[in-house]
Amino acid sequence: MNETHTHTQTPFFADKQEKLAEILSRYPAEGRRSALMPLLWEVQREERYVSEERMRELAEIVGTTATEVKGVMSFYSTYHDQPVGTFHIQVCSTLSCALAGSDELFDFLSNELGIVNGETTADGRFSLQKVECVGSCGTAPVVQVNDTYFERVGRGRCQHLVDALKQGELPPVWRERGGDTVGAAKAEPLQKPTDVREG
Amino acid sequence: MKVRVNDVELDLAPGTSAIDAVFAAGGDVPYFCSQEYMSPIGACRMCLAQVGAPRKERDGSWVMDEATGQPKIFWFPNLMATCTTQVMEGMVIDTLSERVKTAQNGMVEFTLINHPLDCPVCDKGGACELQDRSYEFGDGLSRFQFDKRHNEKHHPLSDLITLDRERCIQCKRCVRYFEEVPGDEVLDFIERTAHTYIGTADHGLPSNFTGNIADICPVGALLDASSRFRGRNWEYDHTRTTSMDDATGAAIIVDARTGRIERIKAALNPDVNKTWIDDGARFGHEYVDSSDRLTTPLVRRQGKLEPATWDEATAFIAERLKGLSGKDVGIAVRADATLEEGVAAMALAEELGTGQLDHAPRPAATLIGNQTATITDLATADAILVVGDLTEEAGILDLRVKDALKGVTPPTLMPHGVPIADLRLKERMPRRREILAVAAPYRVDLMRHAGTAVHYPAGGEAAFFRALGKLAADANAVLVEADEAATGMSTAQARALVARLGAAKQAVVVLGGLALTRRESAEAARAFIKAVGAKELAVGPMANSYGLELLGVLPSHERYGYAGMLEGSKALILSHLDPAQDGEVAERLRGKDLLVVHDIFMTETAHLADVVLPAASVYERDGTVVNLEGRFLPVRAAPVDAGSSTDLTGVARALGEAMGKRLEGRSVRSARRVLKKRFDIDFAELPDTGLLPRTKGRGPAKALAGEAPAATGNVLVVPSMARAEYLSRNRHLAAAVGGNRLRVNPEDAAKHNLTAGAEVRLKVGGTWRQAVVHVTDGVPRGLMTIPSLPEQPVGLAQADLASIVVEQVRLEVAS
Ligand code: SF4
Ligand code: FES
Ligand code: FES
Repeated sequence: MNETHTHTQTPFFADKQEKLAEILSRYPAEGRRSALMPLLWEVQREERYVSEERMRELAEIVGTTATEVKGVMSFYSTYHDQPVGTFHIQVCSTLSCALAGSDELFDFLSNELGIVNGETTADGRFSLQKVECVGSCGTAPVVQVNDTYFERVGRGRCQHLVDALKQGELPPVWRERGGDTVGAAKAEPLQKPTDVREG
Repeated sequence: MKVRVNDVELDLAPGTSAIDAVFAAGGDVPYFCSQEYMSPIGACRMCLAQVGAPRKERDGSWVMDEATGQPKIFWFPNLMATCTTQVMEGMVIDTLSERVKTAQNGMVEFTLINHPLDCPVCDKGGACELQDRSYEFGDGLSRFQFDKRHNEKHHPLSDLITLDRERCIQCKRCVRYFEEVPGDEVLDFIERTAHTYIGTADHGLPSNFTGNIADICPVGALLDASSRFRGRNWEYDHTRTTSMDDATGAAIIVDARTGRIERIKAALNPDVNKTWIDDGARFGHEYVDSSDRLTTPLVRRQGKLEPATWDEATAFIAERLKGLSGKDVGIAVRADATLEEGVAAMALAEELGTGQLDHAPRPAATLIGNQTATITDLATADAILVVGDLTEEAGILDLRVKDALKGVTPPTLMPHGVPIADLRLKERMPRRREILAVAAPYRVDLMRHAGTAVHYPAGGEAAFFRALGKLAADANAVLVEADEAATGMSTAQARALVARLGAAKQAVVVLGGLALTRRESAEAARAFIKAVGAKELAVGPMANSYGLELLGVLPSHERYGYAGMLEGSKALILSHLDPAQDGEVAERLRGKDLLVVHDIFMTETAHLADVVLPAASVYERDGTVVNLEGRFLPVRAAPVDAGSSTDLTGVARALGEAMGKRLEGRSVRSARRVLKKRFDIDFAELPDTGLLPRTKGRGPAKALAGEAPAATGNVLVVPSMARAEYLSRNRHLAAAVGGNRLRVNPEDAAKHNLTAGAEVRLKVGGTWRQAVVHVTDGVPRGLMTIPSLPEQPVGLAQADLASIVVEQVRLEVAS
């Protein structure tokens, strides 16, 4: 019953054979499937999402099924099976951030942008997604826009962030370190709306 | 290894899991993720127990407990998942303490947090592991006061399997099953944490073995789509029997309700199918319930077939027979008649004094080889050569070949049966692909798992084996170009293959139907098998091909075989055979003095008959079949409402009475008296798992050649898991496999103007066949494949390409 699928698109790696060979060379032959992560990343970085056709292509490359590729991919919120907006806003919703108010933050963003979890605005500019821990619990709550982290995002900072994004620009990040490094006193108090512009 | 479970002392083999120790001791722990014949992974945490073991001092003596003077037991600080814990010398397992009970209770509560508890409308209700275990080990209360997670409740994973995502408890059985058993990884967990659900990117679950996941899902998440909402578990009559879908004889349970078969599940036969069956055996039963089943005899009066009683019908036949010489009568049964039916046919032939007796389809070569392997031999082989398409022809053998690739021998049965957690099995085990070679004229599924996969020219089985035989005779021989073409291998490749088979401790060569169609190919194959010292498994065309040959339901002379009697006899009695699909044969049948058809539908042949007798389907018979390894297996009738239909023993009784004779084989019981004398087996007492008599010099009663089919042709008739003769009535299966597939190479498709998904009619041999075009590079240019029929067995045939009529082009493109 296993018929091979015919590809309708040109394979992603058709003109990137060197890159492909380089990635595959990082892993021993019997561990070929390990190359899946960097391969997914290549596709995602260029096309901003990984279509089912690309999944099939990668499955053939590493010798598995499209289902396996989808399983791996969907485990990581980094990868998308739908095209995402220019600004892909990911709100951490795991425990530390949740305790620091990420739910409210998410609702705020959802209201501002008029979309719910997993959606993209009609103009294709914004996507909003709840994600699991992004590994920056010390500076909760965390909002990730494309590859950039925005930390300790209170209501004010969030407003500022949204305004900037609506102008089409990614604002400069404010660097925050967790309480351990800057001390509790300097760390931004929770819940209190502050605005970076006010300092 | 001495182990204590609660108060029971046991002596167990090293490597046993703690969960099996508990069950071996007659104890019980709940479990959801472990599953017989699959790797234990410790995912559900339901099997927790308190486990301890003694420790040794540096000097090797036990650390003693001063109070008791016994070795001191050091308890593991946490409860252990017994499924992934291996027993150790002196281990103590406690499954009854308060601590364990609290943990079990907690796990039940946790597992049910997001479970919808819709048991009243769930098909699994009454036979659900989660339901049972919740009653036994939970306390019926939940502290979860919030909204449950909601998810899709009727997700069609394929035409055969429906998934309820809310009910899934993430045990991973189904995911592991696909990777570990058929090796088709078409299901996986998607997303993670509480959002995790079962899903696929390989839509329609492309695998021939999907139904098994409905059996092993511990909840009602994965369901047999063909029987959804058809009945509750306690309403079904469960009949444990043997599948007559192919020659492997898999164990099945037929579930019927109010006289109708609702579903078929796999049953356990450790030596045959373990607990797996293919989708053909599971879903291929819907035809039995068609509204056009024959339920009463028909007799031709004034040119018209009219309903009659059995007495009238048999009196009519007896009367006509009187005017004929008995030796002019031909009797033929389909090759899935039971042994008991075979006895009836033989008795009838003897009574009439005719040598024109046969079963069909019957390959030219005998199925009863001299070194027949068992299925277990195959599963433990260290070198395998397969010729043909096992996945379609004998799905169980496909799975057992994959067992051999893992190199794990079948587990030893424990007091409670198959070990629940066989710790030798792992997820993603390395497979010894190099031990498997697969050869066929077109691409077959098993090639994906084979170290050596070769294509030889269609019809070239004899040349294939002869070429290999040269290397078996002389390892240094060099294959000439023609031999390389015949084997699809270079000399070096072929040498390596022959050397591997020759050097193996246990080599098995599996001969698919394609290798048996012509006598010369079977002879070449057997000469080769002998030369390399391998064992053989020959796949007969139908469920009892081996048995009917063994019993001797055979013509007294080659020319009185099935084809001969269609031609030469004056009267014919045919059971479940429909030769009139071939127009020329139909013409000849019209000229017969008497044509009796015993079948379940008004076939082409039944329309020409003088008398039509309603037959019992393969699910409605009591009897015995012999599978391809020579194992006698019991067949039991499910309670299906099919009017006055009966099997061939019933025909023998009724007809005998009309002729004033008490024929042997006039009932299953009387047939078994004959069989007892012949085989010295009490067939009424045959165990569920069958009997494999290893008597010396087992051999056919008479070795005979069947009809030799054409050696050339443009279409290859191939075995198919979904039986072509009933596919149009097997709605779910037909949808899943995409109809009777005419598989065409893309270039040929373009040449003959065939588009994928087109429904076509074409003449193959003399028979009009309906098929759906599948365009694939899996078949070579210049060759098409079409599924076999009992009347059109595997092998080459000539299709009239000019005759192709495109009836309809489906919108969605299949393939
Ligand atoms: S669908 Fe059934 S078998 Fe598969 S993980 Fe869920 S509960 Fe287990
Ligand atoms: S919980 Fe939000 S970053 Fe870890
Ligand atoms: S953890 Fe599931 S059976 Fe042991």
